[in-house]
Amino acid sequence: MTPGGGDRLLSVAPSPAFWVAVGLYAAATAALLLVLAGKARFRPAAVALVALAFAAHATDIGWRGTQHVHPAQSVREAMGLLAFILTGGYLLASVRYRLTLGGAVVMPVALVMLVAARLTPAGEAPEDLGALGRIHISLATVGVGVFALASALSAIYIAEERALKKKKFDAVAFKDRGAPLEPLDRLAHRLVWVGFPIFTAALVLGAIWVSRLGESLDRPEYPLAAVTWLTYAGLLVARQVYGWRGRRAARLTLAGFAVALAVLVIYLVRRMVG
Amino acid sequence: MSELFVVGISWRTAPVAVREKLAFRDEEVPGVLRGITGALPVAEALLISTCNRVEVYGVARPGQDATGPVRRFLAEARELKPAAVADVLYDRRGGEAVRHVFRVASSLDSLVLGEAQILGQLKAAYAAAGQAGTSGPVLGRCLERAFGVAKRVRSETSISRGAANVSSVAVELAARVFGDLAGKSVLVIGAGKMSTLAARHLYASGAQRIVVTNRSPEKAEALAAEIDGVARPWDDLEGLLVDADVVISSTGARAPILTKPLFKKVTKARRWRPIMVIDIAVPRDAEPAIADFDGLYLFDIDDLEKVVAANLAERAKAAEHAARIVEHETGQFDRWLRSQGVVPTIRALRERFAQVADAELQKTLEALARREHTPAQQREAIQRLVQLVVNKLLHPPTIALREAATPDEAALRAEVLCDLFGLEPVIGDAREAREAGGAREAGDAPVPPAAERKEGQDRGKEREAAT
Repeated sequence: MTPGGGDRLLSVAPSPAFWVAVGLYAAATAALLLVLAGKARFRPAAVALVALAFAAHATDIGWRGTQHVHPAQSVREAMGLLAFILTGGYLLASVRYRLTLGGAVVMPVALVMLVAARLTPAGEAPEDLGALGRIHISLATVGVGVFALASALSAIYIAEERALKKKKFDAVAFKDRGAPLEPLDRLAHRLVWVGFPIFTAALVLGAIWVSRLGESLDRPEYPLAAVTWLTYAGLLVARQVYGWRGRRAARLTLAGFAVALAVLVIYLVRRMVG
Repeated sequence: MSELFVVGISWRTAPVAVREKLAFRDEEVPGVLRGITGALPVAEALLISTCNRVEVYGVARPGQDATGPVRRFLAEARELKPAAVADVLYDRRGGEAVRHVFRVASSLDSLVLGEAQILGQLKAAYAAAGQAGTSGPVLGRCLERAFGVAKRVRSETSISRGAANVSSVAVELAARVFGDLAGKSVLVIGAGKMSTLAARHLYASGAQRIVVTNRSPEKAEALAAEIDGVARPWDDLEGLLVDADVVISSTGARAPILTKPLFKKVTKARRWRPIMVIDIAVPRDAEPAIADFDGLYLFDIDDLEKVVAANLAERAKAAEHAARIVEHETGQFDRWLRSQGVVPTIRALRERFAQVADAELQKTLEALARREHTPAQQREAIQRLVQLVVNKLLHPPTIALREAATPDEAALRAEVLCDLFGLEPVIGDAREAREAGGAREAGDAPVPPAAERKEGQDRGKEREAAT
């Protein structure tokens, strides 16, 4: 799967499966919102729509593969992969827990990311990334995807915890019987454990790659990526050694993800404006 | 037609002091049912006797009233004077009775809206009637449908959603924090009745163990024995709090015992593992400030009761939707029931029509077989056959219409005919006939013009048929 030229790669038009996925993501979001609004009978339809959107998204990525577009050949492309990981992770987690609120947040986010990955201007053609660059982007995408899932769960945790503390039992967080607090916290913790080594490997490979390219390290995304890593490292230490959990851990998970997101945005903007 | 009926007493009409006098034990039910179907004009019967209602559902024998005799029977079975319970007993018949049975099964008639127990009790009562041999096709169909309606109401409305009492709310809140209660430990501080109930409820929902502590060790031991718990000394309170996941407190202490300094140590020792404190004591056992600790969820009796009230309000709202479902289903069942009454008539009508048509067809076929016919003659024979069948079928109603004893009856018969055969304009004529008939002698009423037209045609056809 050797790419031909950068220009050709980025000019690949969105596949029909992409448009189907966009429609399904939007429909899934609407169905999940309906369930949250008390129309519980739409729940099976909502889950089915998420699964179909996931399948359409997979088809789109596969189709791009046949056109020699690697899912991690650029940050723009990786955004689509990230959305795919998010949806897949959400589907997996919702097998065990009822995460309607989580879905109502994750689905529109995945939709926006997918649209951004396919319809934003591609900018200049990238140079040939080589195996190292591609592995770096793949790992970073998977790592950030797992962190994104952990953050979604943490956000739900914070919303539910606040509602419970304030005794607002009819808050949105509790609509459609949201997942219980302790398992949410546990699941987010496990996800950070999974994402951390992947993200670490991505960072190390990235550093090697950048040094091989001979680029300077003064771009803002490099220290920010290090901050993300430090945040999650700190979180794991605090959980393991000091027994941190619950609200504090959830806030730190979100903070780490916010920094990772900033890195992503910087990459994307740089690509778009050249 | 046999009619469904209900005779009974419930929490709506009488206090428990009266209800208990009319209640029946399970072992008495078969005898009572056989008594009702044996001695009274009742073809099918079912008896449900719970703490909130004693009701007989039955089917009266055709053309007979059963509610009066059943009222008397119930009172006398309990050695009461029928007049003494006349005001608290109610009865419903026909569609009203069906609606009542559907409402009871769907828990719309329950003291706590949406409670699930009544459906089980009704199923047991139905089974008991089946064993006693007193349930039959109509009651059976009604009850089976009632169970279906109850299922529909349960799945399509939120009538049974949300805990409806304080101890269920405690369990529900614990589930919001911990999810599965398996492996969790409950600490009961003090010995209030409500905390005992809540602890039992949590235990039944999967909590692993119950620990009881009290200033008086004897009381702790007694309560622990009662609820399969373990009694621990009061001095261990801090350690017990560190180990517990759900704390239910209801001591008679004047000052708070679950204080901020105590929980500062406890939460640290727990490493912020979540803990739920349910304080149902008045005055309160827990300082409100302990709710500020991470992972600590504090609820007092007001919080729990507010949830109960909100859930009940939600159920009441759902009850409106449920009532519409019941109404729709009642209409359907009523239609089915009424159709059962005319099934023999429909059968007879069909048989008669088939008989007439068959007889005429045979005659025509025989005539055709006797000699050769040209196609034109065959067509004529078929036309004649059709006319003959029509005339024969219309003959009895035509005579009945013409020979009505009074103008009112004639108009009524004309109206029924129009209705049955979908004839529109004649209805007005029938009314005119009735109005005109008011001023005339019976028998002088003019035949409605349209009907007359039709009769004219019929007469012509009859003449034709006779040739």
